[in-house]
Amino acid sequence: MNRWLRAALVAGAIAAVGCFVWSSWPPNSQYAPVEISFAVVGLSFMVAGIAAWQRWPASRLGLLFTIVGYLYLVPYILVNLANPVAWTIGNVTEGISGAALAHLGLAWPTGRLRSRLECGVVVADYVQNIAFNTAATMFWNPAFSGCNASCPANVLLISGGSRSAWNAFNTVEGFVGFLMTGIILTLIVRHWRSARGWSRRAMIPLLWIAAAVGAENILTGNLFHFSALVTYALLPLVLLAGPALFVISTVRARTAGGALGTAIVDLEPGASPGRLRDALARALGDSTLQLAFRRPDGSGYLDTSGQAVDVARPGPGRAVTPIADADGAVLIHDAGLEHEPQLVRLTAAAASMALEHSRLQAEVHAQLEQVRASRARIVEAGDAERRRLERDLHDGAQQRLVTLSLALGMARDRAAGADPELGSLIESASKEAREALTELRELARGIHPAVLTETGLSGAIQALAERSLVATTITAVPDGRFPAAIEATAYFVVSEALANVAKHAGADGAQVTIQRRPGRLVVEVSDDGAGGARPEGGSGLRGLADRVASVGGVLRLDSPPGGGTRLEADIPCP
Amino acid sequence: MSVTPGPEAPAQPRLRVVIAEDTVLLREGLRRVLTDAGLDVAGTAGDAGQLLKLVETSRPDVVLTDIRMPPDQSTEGLQAALEIRRRWPGTAVIVLSQHVETEHLFELLAGDPRGIGYVLKERVADVAQFTGAIRRVAAGESVIDSQVVSRLVARPRRDSPLETLTERELAVLALMAEGRSNHAIAAQLYMSPKTVETHVGSLFAKLGLLPAAEDHRRVLAVLTYLRR
Repeated sequence: MNRWLRAALVAGAIAAVGCFVWSSWPPNSQYAPVEISFAVVGLSFMVAGIAAWQRWPASRLGLLFTIVGYLYLVPYILVNLANPVAWTIGNVTEGISGAALAHLGLAWPTGRLRSRLECGVVVADYVQNIAFNTAATMFWNPAFSGCNASCPANVLLISGGSRSAWNAFNTVEGFVGFLMTGIILTLIVRHWRSARGWSRRAMIPLLWIAAAVGAENILTGNLFHFSALVTYALLPLVLLAGPALFVISTVRARTAGGALGTAIVDLEPGASPGRLRDALARALGDSTLQLAFRRPDGSGYLDTSGQAVDVARPGPGRAVTPIADADGAVLIHDAGLEHEPQLVRLTAAAASMALEHSRLQAEVHAQLEQVRASRARIVEAGDAERRRLERDLHDGAQQRLVTLSLALGMARDRAAGADPELGSLIESASKEAREALTELRELARGIHPAVLTETGLSGAIQALAERSLVATTITAVPDGRFPAAIEATAYFVVSEALANVAKHAGADGAQVTIQRRPGRLVVEVSDDGAGGARPEGGSGLRGLADRVASVGGVLRLDSPPGGGTRLEADIPCP
Repeated sequence: MSVTPGPEAPAQPRLRVVIAEDTVLLREGLRRVLTDAGLDVAGTAGDAGQLLKLVETSRPDVVLTDIRMPPDQSTEGLQAALEIRRRWPGTAVIVLSQHVETEHLFELLAGDPRGIGYVLKERVADVAQFTGAIRRVAAGESVIDSQVVSRLVARPRRDSPLETLTERELAVLALMAEGRSNHAIAAQLYMSPKTVETHVGSLFAKLGLLPAAEDHRRVLAVLTYLRR
């Protein structure tokens, strides 16, 4: 809001209240409650006016609040001025603030009247108010109230006035006012009924307040007669409901802003756009909120329920707010929200953050998935390479050495009789060949155990147990075949674990259990050794953990000092 | 079929052998060695399919087969051996392997262990021992490679009755596991057959095994015990 405007409004408010106090000075103890009540109500509208102007600069609500405040106080200041013209004007405009209040209620929450009909109703209300007051004033002789020369003269007074005419006009005004109040309340209820989303929520406090003010209007009209204290001091306090309306809507917007934060915090990571929409709608209290995304081919928008949305024409009472950094995502919300630009910005920012979060998360997931897949491929390629190497050794070098051994055997047998020296030479060559074969066989087995490929886990684990350097018992190994990567991983876990037991554990025995559980294979190797093994204790265990992770499994080590060691690999298995 | 008893050979038919091995050089080497050793090589095959056809047509006494053969280089030889035993139960089979695994061995022994041999391929270098093995399976004995057996016997164990066996009893046990008869064990360990029998009885009692009269049942019982 403009600095000067604000200064002027503040100065005006102070001046108005100052004038009011000054004009009614010295305070008359009998009227003091009435005057305090007036000052409080008038001032509260002025303050609400300044605040509303600040909060909704684009709306006329600030102006309307201010006008109500002035129209409330000024007539009484004028009446108190002891000037005939001022007194007369004050009397004529005495009830005009009620019409301004009706105007405010009908213009809620946008600050604008919705139709020509409503403009007419408001104008009629202002006019009837002034007209009846003018007419009544013409028949009111200030002398009726018991004052004589001390009273300011009534400049409109005709033919010495008539108490009965004055009464008659006041009674008619009371009826007309009753009627107008009914019309205005009906219109407000209609506004509420046709409103959706945010606007509907904004209408609810108005309904209660309009009912209260309407009741006040009727009670203080000229149809009922209460004591002066009730009519002029207590009932007007109901009008404080007007500024209260402002306070309620402000608190509500703040609450919605806070709720947005909570909604985003509570939103689970990677929540679907549908859930994001629900959370935003709940926080805003706007059930009509839509979150729409541009179709991938650019031909229009779809909301989170898959309905096509026309962003260019969102429909009556609807407004579109683009979401920054979200590649064509928009919010479609109740137009009433536009008067809370801060809230709209907050909503769009929250949506943007959540969408960005989801996008980043999806990206990280995709990357992680890629890395997982490539790691699995690398390990599988390594396994395949090992199998190929083992096969090459078997079909190549090993086979040739066997053939060589056979030839040497034949040669030795031939030479044995004729040339014993040559015979023993050939025999030692033959021995070398046998040893080479033994070494090559162990090498090939270390590269990849053929028995694993040929017979699967049970045969291969049996072979490991038979070769283990500590007494090893197999409690369970499932029969049947598993994917090669899983068999190889389980095999290497057992192989590495048994090697560790032999090397480090100082154990008397080890136990191997492999169990098939729903969706996974659990490999467990335990020993009765010294324990105290640490996962970071050797590259062997870390390499094994990597190997298990390559098939999506987890390696767990449980090795309390003095309590043996238990290594468990939990491997996902279709 | 050419049964030509030599002048000094006893009048018994020559053993008819079929060889299945995919490496030509080794296959031909084997044929030569076995022929030189007085066996009748009735045919050779380069893969399992050929082998089965060959056995069907020539009905040999002994089949000698490599465990890994084309096309998959897996356990085709083993599968062919099982098939041969199923279709022609009297045929003796020796399976040759580059790496001896008890898994394969037990698959092979599961039916009837008589006339079954499972030996390391490199044993062909010792011609006399190898032909001896062929003659033994042809006679219905089992021949289990000493390397498998020694691995099983030497396995570390906890609280096992095996630890209570004497050195001699262990030696007897190993030879039983290789498929030797009491007679052969006696000859190899320079004992009298009577002593061998005593050892066998005592170690069976220690291990809690039921004494088995037939050698082939004994092989299976001992191997199963050792493999536990």
